[in-house]
Amino acid sequence: MKKENPSPYWKVLPAAIALAGIIVFIFASYGPPASSSGFVTFLKGVLSPLVPDYVATKQHYAMLPGPGSWLMAFVIGMAIGGFIAGRTFSVPVCDVPQLWEKRFGKSRVKRFAATFAGGFLILFGARLAGGCTLGLFISGSTQLAISGLYFGIIIFAVSMLTARLVYGKTGKGES
Amino acid sequence: MTAILLGLFSGIAFGFVIQRVGATDANKMALAHLMREPEIPQFMLLAVTFSAIGLFGLQAVGVGRTMVLPTSIVATGLAAVIFGIGWGLSGYCPGTCWAAAGEGRMDAIFALLGGLAGAAAFAQLHEVLIPALYMPTSQGPITLGDWFGSYWLGLVVLVAALCGAVWLIGKLWGRESA
Repeated sequence: MKKENPSPYWKVLPAAIALAGIIVFIFASYGPPASSSGFVTFLKGVLSPLVPDYVATKQHYAMLPGPGSWLMAFVIGMAIGGFIAGRTFSVPVCDVPQLWEKRFGKSRVKRFAATFAGGFLILFGARLAGGCTLGLFISGSTQLAISGLYFGIIIFAVSMLTARLVYGKTGKGES
Repeated sequence: MTAILLGLFSGIAFGFVIQRVGATDANKMALAHLMREPEIPQFMLLAVTFSAIGLFGLQAVGVGRTMVLPTSIVATGLAAVIFGIGWGLSGYCPGTCWAAAGEGRMDAIFALLGGLAGAAAFAQLHEVLIPALYMPTSQGPITLGDWFGSYWLGLVVLVAALCGAVWLIGKLWGRESA
């Protein structure tokens, strides 16, 4: 059902050009953009003072820089960018997405448990592959990397299948 | 210090744009995955298209740093399956959950916490999983340029394939919100 008022979201083409401009700027000023590495960097910062011996012996922490790095600043910047964008946007945020609520009810606990589990899987997968949607698919494909394209095709296919299993036909044709 | 300021600036700009296109909204992401809204996947693929062309320009003038990750048939593929399950379930990926958390979405904060747990779990298992799954089927840092004989031709193939995919998504995906 089409609504009369125009969408508050940016149109695809100008938004893609804007993001590509940022990505090219990042390649020029830093290197391939990445966000899943920021999680490891953050953990390294938290764990280093607590269990220095453990962090020192683990390869995964050794291969990435600590919190005083571009990678950490980038994910913090993403949160700030999201904050600024959210404060200046007409659509309010909700803790439980509408479609999820139609399928599983209003329970915040259920939704938060699901996103925690989902978050665990995306980071476990991203660290195994060496990157995420940005660090492997977008950065990699921009550099023509087969790894990025291979990862990208599978993540889209599997997430589409998973979403079908999770939501079924929930809310289809209502909005 | 410059690196930190550049990272912050880049992150703020990136987070702002992905919020404005709706990629931080797990509801819109679910509708994209369910083939009911085409905008987010089209946005992602077009962003790669323009970035690849822009990077080609950068390389022509010798600016910037690139790093191609190796393709491991088993590890990259298995990782993508695990990642896809998490993405389809939560509607967040490692980048969007930071921006969505900043936006004030509580479920994204839990995705972020889950992500920290997942990264910590992988870091613990790195020494076991990388030699077992990643190294044996690693093909090295191969690119479309290697496959097609020249970087230029690889870029043309990539742009054509991505534009074809964007067109196909426009045909196959529904348009629930407009």
